[in-house]
Amino acid sequence: MTETFHQFVVHRSPALSRAAYLLTGDHQLAEDLLQNALARTYRHWRRIHGGDPEAYVRRVMYHQQVSWWRRRRFAERLESQPTDRAGDDHSDATALRLSLAVALRQLTPRQRAVVVLRFYEDLTESQVAEVLGCSVGTVKRHSHDAVRRLRAIAPDLVDRTAQRSPR
Amino acid sequence: MTARLREVLHTAAADVPAYPVYEQALASARRHRRRTVLAAGAALVLVAVAGLVLPLAGTPAVDRAAGADAALPDRVGVPPFGSLHATDWPRLGPASVIFTGQAPGLMYGDEGSIITLVGADADRYRIIKGEIEAQAGGDTVLSPDGRLVAFRSVGLAPRVEIVDLVTGRSRTVSSGVPGTVLTGPAGWSPDGRALIVWDTVPANPERSAYRQMLSIVWLDGERRTRLADESEGLAWPAFAPDGARLAFQTGRTVTVTELDGRRLSSFTLAPETELAGKGAWSTDGRALTVTRRDGDSWSLRRVDPATGRDLGAIDTPAVSGVTAIRLLGWAADGSAWVVAYQPAPDAPGAFNAPLEMDQRLAYGNVGSVRVLALRRGAEAPTTLLTAPQDVVSIDVSNDVIHSGRTRDASPPHGVGPRFWYWGVLITVLVAGIAAYRNREGLALWLHNRRTRQARRLGGRSS
Repeated sequence: MTETFHQFVVHRSPALSRAAYLLTGDHQLAEDLLQNALARTYRHWRRIHGGDPEAYVRRVMYHQQVSWWRRRRFAERLESQPTDRAGDDHSDATALRLSLAVALRQLTPRQRAVVVLRFYEDLTESQVAEVLGCSVGTVKRHSHDAVRRLRAIAPDLVDRTAQRSPR
Repeated sequence: MTARLREVLHTAAADVPAYPVYEQALASARRHRRRTVLAAGAALVLVAVAGLVLPLAGTPAVDRAAGADAALPDRVGVPPFGSLHATDWPRLGPASVIFTGQAPGLMYGDEGSIITLVGADADRYRIIKGEIEAQAGGDTVLSPDGRLVAFRSVGLAPRVEIVDLVTGRSRTVSSGVPGTVLTGPAGWSPDGRALIVWDTVPANPERSAYRQMLSIVWLDGERRTRLADESEGLAWPAFAPDGARLAFQTGRTVTVTELDGRRLSSFTLAPETELAGKGAWSTDGRALTVTRRDGDSWSLRRVDPATGRDLGAIDTPAVSGVTAIRLLGWAADGSAWVVAYQPAPDAPGAFNAPLEMDQRLAYGNVGSVRVLALRRGAEAPTTLLTAPQDVVSIDVSNDVIHSGRTRDASPPHGVGPRFWYWGVLITVLVAGIAAYRNREGLALWLHNRRTRQARRLGGRSS
């Protein structure tokens, strides 16, 4: 059983890490989020390994991310060092990631989850509603609010025209 | 319109490394499992502890040896704070003594009485919450075998409550007297199957006068027989040893009846004499005992139950310096066991002058009680049991009286099991609430501790 779980983690942790990072906007928080989700998955592995464990992990991650517990728990966490520093790498990708991370932090956890599910995971609104356990209307509202907010904070992340416009 | 956002998200995610979380996830899962097992174990321990001190359903085995070794403790004490209730587990079993009073620890609420019960053969204490100024031996009576306690039920409806000290079950009975405003038990039949119950009933619609009624209630089916309907106060019914006759006093008159209510005789008491108490009948059932006061001194005399004729004094020592004495019964050695009511230091009454018996036993007039043995031919009473100040009434089971056994007692002190149970429960609850309210700090502390440990381990391995 452990080997199977190990294989699952080895094979799927890159994709899961990416989703976790987008959800949190912070490497250390993302690592914690993924670790907790995998720990929970391991506890229930006997029951879920025959189905779609990856979907289970993602669902746990999304739920943990929007839960008040994690929000409060990590909102006040003290960091001894910044986990991303622009000075380390001046590449466009890093700049973009930092810009995105800052923008995502301005969203509510649920808005961020909807953004990731809709625009990164490419789920339909109905699928997002199912994953988050809310109505399609709620997903639409969060999606609309999130995009509007991102557009206000960092228009170049949302619209190509904004990216091209002079600052 | 959101193609740019999709592109940005994928670009940003592309550089994210796969986090090395496998080992930590396993450790976290195992830690969670260990905590779950520990929490389940703690819950089991709590349940087990609760089972020791909380009332639980079910009937435990009766401790027959306790009844066989029943003895009178040589002293009683105020029950500790947090004492078990009579219905708590483990059950008390038959009691030897019950008492009430107004000392701290013997009252609850504004004026409620705590009835204290002492185990038949050991200093196991239990309590029952009773009505205001409950009087052991008066309106709170212990059955002859010490198994049942009857007392005025707490509440607006006038009822008598009976607690079985072996099963922990409680039931209420009523006399069935219509319009009663106050009811209470007055005594048990020798076999414990019938209870004498008194009632106070308004004599007129204006409630300017009241009647006192006495009934027998058979507990198997609650059959009832009316014994008396008088305008004067009733006191201390006494069953003959064969259980077939009953004597009771109303005003200055003693009446002897059969259990179906048929009156056998009635006579007027001489001045300053009273029917002696629940042990008034002689052991052969041929005589009734009365107490007689001469100034400050109380003695026992015999009277003919058919005529009331004085049969002379009993050769037992007199008791002095008390508000009254009450005859509990006769021990195997022929001595009379009596309750001696010591006057309260600041009692307003003058007890060497005529005074109603209910005043002699009133909470305000009694400072403490003792159980004395009045042995035949002895010059002075022998003290069998002492009680703390402000214990104002006491009753002893007939089995203990007849056995004549006494034992050295060591009343419990400190705090009782209920205190510990509630103390632990409240502490756990408060700790849980505190942990919940500080969950963020706790989570942060745990997280930082784990991080430090991981760094330390990482530092060692490198």
